Amino acid sequence: MSGIEILQIWIMAFLTLALFSFLYKDNAVYKLAEHIFAGLSAGYYVGLIWDTVIVQQLWEPLIAGKALLIVPGLMGLLMFGRFSQQYSWISRVSLAFVMGTTSGIFLVTQLHGLVLAQMRSTMRSMAGSDGITDLLLSLVIVVGVIATLIYFYFSKEHKGILGGTAKVGVWFIMISFGAHFGYTVMGRVSLLIGRVQFLIQDWIGSFGQII
Amino acid sequence: MNFWQRMQQMDRRWVYLMVGISVIFPFILPITLPVSITPEAQMLYDHIEALPDSSTVMLVFDYYPSTIAECEPMTIAAARHFFEKDCRVITLSNIPLGGPTMAEQVTRTVAEQYGKEYGVDYVNLGYKANYVAVLSGMGQSIESIFPTDNSGTPLDELPLMDSVVNYEQIDFIFEVADNATADYWVSIVNAGYGVPIGCGTTAVSAPKYYAFVDAGQFVGLLGGMKGAAEYEQLIEQEGDAMVGMGAQSLVHLLIIALVIVGNLGFFVGGIGRRKGAK
Repeated sequence: MSGIEILQIWIMAFLTLALFSFLYKDNAVYKLAEHIFAGLSAGYYVGLIWDTVIVQQLWEPLIAGKALLIVPGLMGLLMFGRFSQQYSWISRVSLAFVMGTTSGIFLVTQLHGLVLAQMRSTMRSMAGSDGITDLLLSLVIVVGVIATLIYFYFSKEHKGILGGTAKVGVWFIMISFGAHFGYTVMGRVSLLIGRVQFLIQDWIGSFGQII
Repeated sequence: MNFWQRMQQMDRRWVYLMVGISVIFPFILPITLPVSITPEAQMLYDHIEALPDSSTVMLVFDYYPSTIAECEPMTIAAARHFFEKDCRVITLSNIPLGGPTMAEQVTRTVAEQYGKEYGVDYVNLGYKANYVAVLSGMGQSIESIFPTDNSGTPLDELPLMDSVVNYEQIDFIFEVADNATADYWVSIVNAGYGVPIGCGTTAVSAPKYYAFVDAGQFVGLLGGMKGAAEYEQLIEQEGDAMVGMGAQSLVHLLIIALVIVGNLGFFVGGIGRRKGAK
């Protein structure tokens, strides 16, 4: 392990421990680590966007003769109108373009790629069942989808059959929240394990290199 | 004040300490617990295993450094599996903070172990902003979106990219994500171009993506550190996820115990009754 790698590990360990110190109570070392993270992230992001978007996808092709790129370049510049109260309306031209294209792209891709595909899968789930267990599981999915959708149907008061079905929907939603919460706990614990793994294996492991 | 009431008023820092000890303990005295393979992980493994040798695959690093513990073991295991099968690997990232660097680090380290050469066996395209435009644009031409690789080398100077124009030449995509970019790989690339996609995701996102496996939109799924450990077991190469599973199980047991004690305290200790009386 080179000297620079050991230094990197020690900086990482210091920042990890500084952030963990918040578990005891808020303190200046924690705040220092938090501010370093915010500042570095912002700086890194600006530099990356400048290089990968402005330089590589606008400036260099423009210099190479792709004159049409002046249009998106100018539209990007119009966005800076937002910094002036008097000329902020100029940015709406670019915003309208962004909103229009984004809605167009998303409407098609989300509907075709997600909504219809998921609907098709739900409808076919029972037909393609393999055995009684599979059929019962498919039935749970179909009942769950219908009951949950009915819970979110607000145009009629939830009474009678509609109310009963909506209650079944609530049960499905609660079970889903439970599954999400369980997975969330697992995820958060994994992140802690990752840091502890780093501290024990890399940081404490580097002690031998220094001594 | 009885035992249960004292438990209810316990300083939460004691809980943090107990969790901390439970995480550290298995690293000092390793606990090996069996990791069962879920059908979704098996499906992913089977699909990759069935790819013809020398297939061209994409390994996508759509996660931030904050979720390295969950996602990196997946990318390492997948890269090992791909290189073992002599697949040609193209990596990229839609995450600005750290994505391209992690892709570089993981693939370079694993490639060295398998004696793979950069530009011939694997290429890192790096990062480009606006993932919707990136994913759509690569359907026409990868080179129009990524004129150069991550280190600035033009794609036409990289032998691997000679035969790769767009998704038509990509046999499989393994998307490892800690955010909603996986949705767009499905809705734009799988639905639009029919490229089979496997997904590795953080535990937080995993429940959502099971529906995608059922619908056939993902060929398989790895959820969190457990999913990564399953894949490490499938390729028979122990990594960080397998090592971390001992700690994971121990902390889960602790949390279950705390939930039970907390609820017992609430009901047996009479705190629930007193609050109800108010």
